[in-house]
Amino acid sequence: MTRFEELQQAIIDGKAPVAKELTDKMLKEGIRPGEFFPKAIIPAMDEVGRRMRECEFFIPEVLIAARAARASSDILRPLLVGADAMASAGTVVCGTVKGDLHDIGKNIVAMMLESAGFKIIDLGVDVTAEKIVDAVRTNQAGLVALSALLTTTMVNMKSVVEALSAAGLRDKVKIMVGGAPVTDAWAHSIGADGYGKDAPAAVELARQLATA
Amino acid sequence: MRLRYGAGVRPDAIGVNEKAERATGRSLTPDTWHLTPKISMPEKPTHRVILRPVQTELTAPAGTALRDLLFAQGVEFPCGGHGRCRGCRVHVLEGHVPINDAQRERLSAEELAEGWRLACQCTLEDDLVIELRQWDAAILVDDTPFVFQPRAGLGVAVDLGTTTLVTQLLDLTTGRVLAVRTALNSQARFGADVMSRVQFGVPKDGEKQLRDLIRQQIGSLIEQLIFAAQIPEGKITDVVVVGNTVMHHLFCGLDVEPLSRYPFESENLGLQSFRGQDLGWKLTRDAHVRFLPCLGGFVGSDILAGILATNLGERNDLNGLVDLGTNGEIVIGNRQRLLCASTAAGPAFEGARISMGMRAATGAISEVIVEDHTVNCRVLGNVPPQGLCGSGLVDAVAAGLELGTIQSSGRFADSIGAWTLAAPVVLTQSDIRELQLAKGAIAAGIRMLLDRFGASAGDLKKLYLAGAFGNYINRASAQRIGLISFPLEKVEAAGNTALLGAKLALFRPDEEDGSYASLRQRTEHVALNADQSFQETFVEEMVFP
Repeated sequence: MTRFEELQQAIIDGKAPVAKELTDKMLKEGIRPGEFFPKAIIPAMDEVGRRMRECEFFIPEVLIAARAARASSDILRPLLVGADAMASAGTVVCGTVKGDLHDIGKNIVAMMLESAGFKIIDLGVDVTAEKIVDAVRTNQAGLVALSALLTTTMVNMKSVVEALSAAGLRDKVKIMVGGAPVTDAWAHSIGADGYGKDAPAAVELARQLATA
Repeated sequence: MRLRYGAGVRPDAIGVNEKAERATGRSLTPDTWHLTPKISMPEKPTHRVILRPVQTELTAPAGTALRDLLFAQGVEFPCGGHGRCRGCRVHVLEGHVPINDAQRERLSAEELAEGWRLACQCTLEDDLVIELRQWDAAILVDDTPFVFQPRAGLGVAVDLGTTTLVTQLLDLTTGRVLAVRTALNSQARFGADVMSRVQFGVPKDGEKQLRDLIRQQIGSLIEQLIFAAQIPEGKITDVVVVGNTVMHHLFCGLDVEPLSRYPFESENLGLQSFRGQDLGWKLTRDAHVRFLPCLGGFVGSDILAGILATNLGERNDLNGLVDLGTNGEIVIGNRQRLLCASTAAGPAFEGARISMGMRAATGAISEVIVEDHTVNCRVLGNVPPQGLCGSGLVDAVAAGLELGTIQSSGRFADSIGAWTLAAPVVLTQSDIRELQLAKGAIAAGIRMLLDRFGASAGDLKKLYLAGAFGNYINRASAQRIGLISFPLEKVEAAGNTALLGAKLALFRPDEEDGSYASLRQRTEHVALNADQSFQETFVEEMVFP
């Protein structure tokens, strides 16, 4: 097994201390920081996404795998400068809409997007449309990812789309939505750019929207 | 004088009622919801619909929504008929039913080819023969003997559940239960869970529609109680209604909008009183109708009634009460202080969103037992197995853990997609995931309330399981999957404590001025979702021990 495969395995198995130790060791062995994402972290989280989609992995496993990925990437990010600077996949402002406190699904999507090379501005839960507009403007984000778990709060996704339009930012950002009561049809009806059925689908969608 | 609750207590000054009429297992047909197909256009063709296996035959005009037709037959619409779930799927054996996009999204090509349809998406265009997946189920009534102080008059206790309604007529002089009537909550076709009911009720006309529906339905159940008990009309003097906060608001005509969003707090949680004439029910003119007060958030008077029934708020030792349902409610406490919370457990315990899930009805696997390393299933009604109900689901997962078929992560050991319990009934990987969500939410809620109380699991003397599911669940299986982590001797099925509490309140109209101000003051509502550590505890509790 190569070092990269070892690190992939540690992330998939959710072993954060092992991932951290391996990352340190690999850096000492002279592996360039820029190689870790394409050769270990991104493929590992893609595999986690695949297993999640096939019901093999569930929320706890996905969360601990994402934590292990973060243990590695936290060491790497400060080193990704100069020749190792990684082209960011894009900046995503994400949050659970106003009136809704559901955190877990949004966190999983945020962590998987982060592992896929996106810069994440996570605004948390119960987020107002104004806050999202501000964050998009300040960070010049190209993507907005919204979550809602209640049929009564998903209407607030529409308010966000409207607020971004009113602020003159609508043609500068792509908006993606997700959450248990959300459907493709709903995404279309509120004028969002796409719907992610689950976290792996959200990553796939973000990649498409970022390059579109 | 202080009255003690307990089956064995029979002081002379007070009476103990007789066993109530046993009505579990009654058909769930919502007998108060009368379908009145409009026959205003005589030239419009009518079609005949035969329902299997009940062999009911119906006739209705072309274009009638199957939702209206089948709701009257007890079919439930978990998502409120929006095509967002698969809960109302029916098997069309004969006749043509067109397919739309919503059905293509929710049903596979094979299912559609076999004749499966979502009833909520269809209108009647042909003569049909339909096989229903859901038809009848047991509703838990209460026949616990209780201690009471006799008073004059006749009273009705109403347990107004999100899904089911239970009413009992009592002679307040003798404590005898004269009649029992149960039904499906007629609001249920606008959504199975409280949030979809709130969504429907936020616009003013929706709120009024739901209010009128439930008031009419209870009025009609009261008429049936009068008829069944053969008493003259206009003799009922007292009615006590209990239900969760959403049911309380919708019945009383209060604005449900505050319940639709964080922080989910309404200002109108108090006791609501009505006179018989206000509601148009067949009571005495000035009969006293009380909807008991809520405790906070979504925790309503059904739980307050549960506290009365188990005497949780009057004891020195620490006890708990858990109502397992779509919205799981939890109370722990003693005479000094009580903590309550609700947690959205999802509908897994009721068999919804489970691939072969069904209510605890004929054909449901209700028990799974491991013997000599193989599973044996018990099927309700001694018919070939058709599906899996909540208690069967908990048993099946416990059995899988025992046999090593299911790992503690919830994953099947051999990457099998489905485990055959008794052909054709299988347990799938995603069914286990649904159960993990439900049990994780309840277990996390119990743990957090104990933490907040400054107590540990060992300090709890008894944990009462309220409600139908709590009554049928195998406690050892519940313990095996980590739903409850207490020694079995501490866990007790308490039956329909909401109804029992409502009955007790009928006999004590003046207890705490009927507003239960002191009990409510001692009870603190904990908003679990707003607590940062809840999400983490929830995830931790998703795995099996």
